[in-house]
Amino acid sequence: MSGRARTRARGMLRGSRALEVRGSPGYLAATSVDLGNSEVSLSSRTDSVWQPYEHDAASGDGEHTLMERRVRIRQDLMDLGICTRERLAHVKDCKTGSSGLPVKLVTNLFSLDLPQDWQLYQYHVVYSPDLPSKRLRTALLYGHSELSDRTKAFDGAILFLSQKLDQKVTELTSETQRGETVRMTVTLTNKLVSSSPVCIQFFNIIFKKILKKLSMYQIGRNFYKPSEPVEIPQYKLSVWPGFAVSVSHFESKLLFGADVSYKVLRNETVLEFMTDLCVRTDTSCFPQTCETQLVGLIVLTRYNNKTYRIDDIDWSVKPTHTFQKRDGSEITYTDYYKQQYDITLSDLNQPVLVSLLKRKRNASMEPQAVHLIPELCFLTGLTSQATSDFHLMKAVAEETRLSPLGRQQRLARLADDIQRNQVARFELETWGLHFGSQMSLTGRVVPSEKLIMQDHICQPASAADWSKDIRACKVLSSQSLTTWLILCSSRAENRIEGFLSCLRRVGSTMGFNVGYPKIIKVQENPASFLRAIQQHVDPDVQLVMCILPSNQKNYYDSIKKYLNLDCPVPSQCVLTRTLNKQGMMMSVATKIAMQMTCKLGGELWTVEIPLKSLMVVGISICKDALSKDTLVVGFVASVNPRITRWFSRCILQRTTAEVADCLKVFLTGALNKWYKLNHDLPARIIVYRDGVGDGQLKAVVDYEVPQLLSSVAESSSDSSSCRLSVVVVRKRCTPRFFVETSKTVQNPPLGTVVDSEATRPAWYDFYLISQTTSQGTVSPTYYNVIYDDNVLKPDHMQRLTFKLCHLYYNWQGLISIPAPCQYAHKLTFLVAQSIHKEPSLELANHLFYL
Amino acid sequence: LWLAKHFPCNSVVGGNFEEVCPEKVIRFKPPLYKQRYEFVRDLVDRHEPKKIADLGCGDTKLLKLLKIYPCIQLLVGVDINEEKLHSNGHHLSPYLGEFVKPRDLDLTIILYHGSVVERDSRLLGFDLITCIELIEHLDSDDLARFPEVVFGYLSPAMVVISTPNSEFNPLFPTVALRDADHKFEWSRMEFQTWASQVAKCYNYCVEFTGVGTPPAGAEHVGYCTQIGVFTKIGGKAAGSCVSEDHDQHVYKAVYMTSYPSLQQEKVLKFVLVGELLIQVEHLRLRHHRMLRERKRESDPKPRDTDFSLGPDLLLGAVFTEAEKARIENSPEPFCEGDKFCVPLQRLLAYPKLHRLRVDEERMRALIADSVCLSSDSSAVMVDLYNSLDYWPEDS
Repeated sequence: MSGRARTRARGMLRGSRALEVRGSPGYLAATSVDLGNSEVSLSSRTDSVWQPYEHDAASGDGEHTLMERRVRIRQDLMDLGICTRERLAHVKDCKTGSSGLPVKLVTNLFSLDLPQDWQLYQYHVVYSPDLPSKRLRTALLYGHSELSDRTKAFDGAILFLSQKLDQKVTELTSETQRGETVRMTVTLTNKLVSSSPVCIQFFNIIFKKILKKLSMYQIGRNFYKPSEPVEIPQYKLSVWPGFAVSVSHFESKLLFGADVSYKVLRNETVLEFMTDLCVRTDTSCFPQTCETQLVGLIVLTRYNNKTYRIDDIDWSVKPTHTFQKRDGSEITYTDYYKQQYDITLSDLNQPVLVSLLKRKRNASMEPQAVHLIPELCFLTGLTSQATSDFHLMKAVAEETRLSPLGRQQRLARLADDIQRNQVARFELETWGLHFGSQMSLTGRVVPSEKLIMQDHICQPASAADWSKDIRACKVLSSQSLTTWLILCSSRAENRIEGFLSCLRRVGSTMGFNVGYPKIIKVQENPASFLRAIQQHVDPDVQLVMCILPSNQKNYYDSIKKYLNLDCPVPSQCVLTRTLNKQGMMMSVATKIAMQMTCKLGGELWTVEIPLKSLMVVGISICKDALSKDTLVVGFVASVNPRITRWFSRCILQRTTAEVADCLKVFLTGALNKWYKLNHDLPARIIVYRDGVGDGQLKAVVDYEVPQLLSSVAESSSDSSSCRLSVVVVRKRCTPRFFVETSKTVQNPPLGTVVDSEATRPAWYDFYLISQTTSQGTVSPTYYNVIYDDNVLKPDHMQRLTFKLCHLYYNWQGLISIPAPCQYAHKLTFLVAQSIHKEPSLELANHLFYL
Repeated sequence: LWLAKHFPCNSVVGGNFEEVCPEKVIRFKPPLYKQRYEFVRDLVDRHEPKKIADLGCGDTKLLKLLKIYPCIQLLVGVDINEEKLHSNGHHLSPYLGEFVKPRDLDLTIILYHGSVVERDSRLLGFDLITCIELIEHLDSDDLARFPEVVFGYLSPAMVVISTPNSEFNPLFPTVALRDADHKFEWSRMEFQTWASQVAKCYNYCVEFTGVGTPPAGAEHVGYCTQIGVFTKIGGKAAGSCVSEDHDQHVYKAVYMTSYPSLQQEKVLKFVLVGELLIQVEHLRLRHHRMLRERKRESDPKPRDTDFSLGPDLLLGAVFTEAEKARIENSPEPFCEGDKFCVPLQRLLAYPKLHRLRVDEERMRALIADSVCLSSDSSAVMVDLYNSLDYWPEDS
């Protein structure tokens, strides 16, 4: 065994005792108690044999400085401490709007009631002589008469009490069973109100404990019921229903939020996956292919029900190799699994997977390496290959999509389980918590919007889909398409004529002139397509259409790469399969015609924008698919008052923090463009920032907003200056809203705004429902206005945001986020998935990324 | 291997609890409680009992260790502390992975709240009853009733009783009982006398052993924990007959869970379809590979489709000679147009499907609504080319 392998193996054993892999790591203080870890419970749980508690080594001399052991706070709770509202004078007293029709809504939030003067008392306990064993520390402390009847939680050093001790510092002595006297000094370090982050985290731990008592297992942050799997055998998948739960302090009170969540587990071990991959690939590049496919995936181990992220594969270690156990003895992996779990490994030639566990106690220390046997690991989640399989996704969706009624029933059952379970109830009561009823609130439905077309203003029957309403209308503007190419294989050739005539027909109805293209026949492989493009594209070509034989990524990627980077020409890819859908030809052609119009710089429709000189901006960030430490930042800004023309920039930035670096340059570029077209600067700029993760709000406020402001300041002259607002957009949020009718539960109507009770007191925030779903439950989009010089009334900010959700040209209906965000998202997705480079600036004024 | 060592450290593992003492102490490696559990696991390994009850199961740690054994079908824990059962029961529920790769045989785990000196007919007919560090917690009345209930009434095929050996205690710095709740701690003589009497009375034979080897120089004190293994003479009695006559349910069932297993039709179907699809996909890929390799050789040799001639696999289970023969004797996969077909008989020859012990007809019925079969229903049929096929060399 090599030295490297040995070190890793040593890590493995430590790892196998390590407590769990967290979904979203990252903590504030370096040396502190991790309250986020539910396994190291705060109350009298006895340690399990297989996961003994590792005591903090820092307790050697018995002299703790109190500051040393702070409670670590989860990242999303840190965001709540960024009080942006207090700086916005116009919403300091009231951030709610008033327009629109009131609508009564039920939420997925449950009230958690506490006595009025409720406080949590945080103590620090020092032992003399010092005791390394947490179990013994706990036993001695809990056994003391002063504490035995009190409600308490203890992690070995930090003690929480619901009732205060008489003294600030209490000296206790206990005797061990061997007759030794131990002195315990209990010092009050903090009085916490229920809204404090430590308390919120404390409540979350209590609920984690409760869900475990309800026989649910934690995977990542969520809890799943093992007894109720939904199996989809034809795709080798099982889907587990469960809940994402959280306790948080909302506008005026503490609320428990629960949402139904599903975990997909593949009925395939990593070894089986590797074996198939081995057949697919040449032996020489197999290890490398294997690593690209597997690294980053989350696996579940059958024997101990834990999840790990694959960080590496160690081909030099085999199951027959030995590793060193904690007691110093050497054992082979095969013997270890046989002895410990009665598992016999069938393949002794398999390598081991390496997972790096972040150190809970000390983030600065090197992570522990855990070795996992591929044969014993199941893949979780879906691969990108699986997600592009329409039939598979449909099968999964059928099993997981829940109607509002179904969702409401699940929630009711969870609430019922919590309230009925003796242990759960006791746990809550002992801390003075009362699990109350499901919260209702009143939202407002803002008026629907009219679509402005070239010679027509139309009120769609449903804002969800206005394709029928505008079928006969002319688009606002379009370029004639005269010089263009179609590339197709001979198999697709017979479809081309029919498709072209459809395209020209729908084009003429919408006012888009489609000339006859040059049709080029190519062989069915990516290289032939690319060669044909290189041969035939010249500066006069306005657009290239490729009829692709399959949705294999390499076709699309190589075409997009060439036409976005090397030879910037708008391109349109269509699958042969799509053209085979006989009855659908008109609607397919309409969609393609609209996309082509946009790619050539046309405008489809707009809505009334009351602000006369407004630029809206969307920013989206995502990780590059090839190199995970590269961020793709997309920026899209409107450049005309009608908000129908867009300017875009995109950059790849190497960094670990998910914060955009180049916003000043981007905004200045957009302002220049605006100036060129409108001969003035916009009076107002509203930036919608998408893709802000947990714990990143501070960075956005402190780092991104100043970049935007400095661009605005530099661009503005004395006579004209623009005012900036920045809104953080989140598609994922805890609350869900339903409308309860006498018979059933439904999704709220489009345009429903919620700006009270489920919001946060420290933020100027609101929820907006701007999307529909035919089946399933709609999720609201969450908006947090973190900077606002425009001083729009909340009503106006909400309505403007709603209007912007109408302007995405790739979909004839409302979408869940403002159009600039969706455009920016499309742009970053194209770059991150396919072209991996900054697209040519020549395309910046077109919606080439649709 | 299992040695006690002197450690200049301030804790000792006595019961399940660590106790402090100022001087030199004894620490066992592995800890003594683990050695006791290990002892039980060894017994289970050797005797493969189907039904096991752990009396005084406490925090259910032993049950958690035992649930991994494929032979066990009923695992029962009994304890007087209901709260402990409530708060630990959920640890025994099946893991997610146990639905994906289920056990062969059903397993039910039940926790009962009750006293070990009360008779409950649901504990009749067991193969093994364990009483780990239990009897020393019984007061003299209960201790007197204990043999009658466990040996006389429950009368399992085997009983394991462990208890502290008081002769070992002087090696601990402070002379006292090892736990405040211990009513007594026996010397080897005391325990063996009691056990032998019990065995004689109820027609068992008993062997004595222990765990926790004393340190060098103190061998005369014996094991730290003494253990008696009682085996019923004449094997397992027909305990189940008794239960039908007098159904006595005095224990309160606090927790119960059932494991998914291949004995359940739904589970079997899921596993069967899953393993089948994995195998078919694997064969399809190998066929692809073979076609490609043949294409690469400029002059395609006229040879029969031979699926066993795949590339040397780096990975995957290695077949035994018997398995190889079984596979080779089954009908081969074939192509029909752009469809790839694998005969059901062929599939059933592969070990992972073979072990499910279903015949072709049952297999056909189980998979019918999940996979596509050939016209005569003798083979599984999939597309030879899949739009998602991606060969890295293509690009």
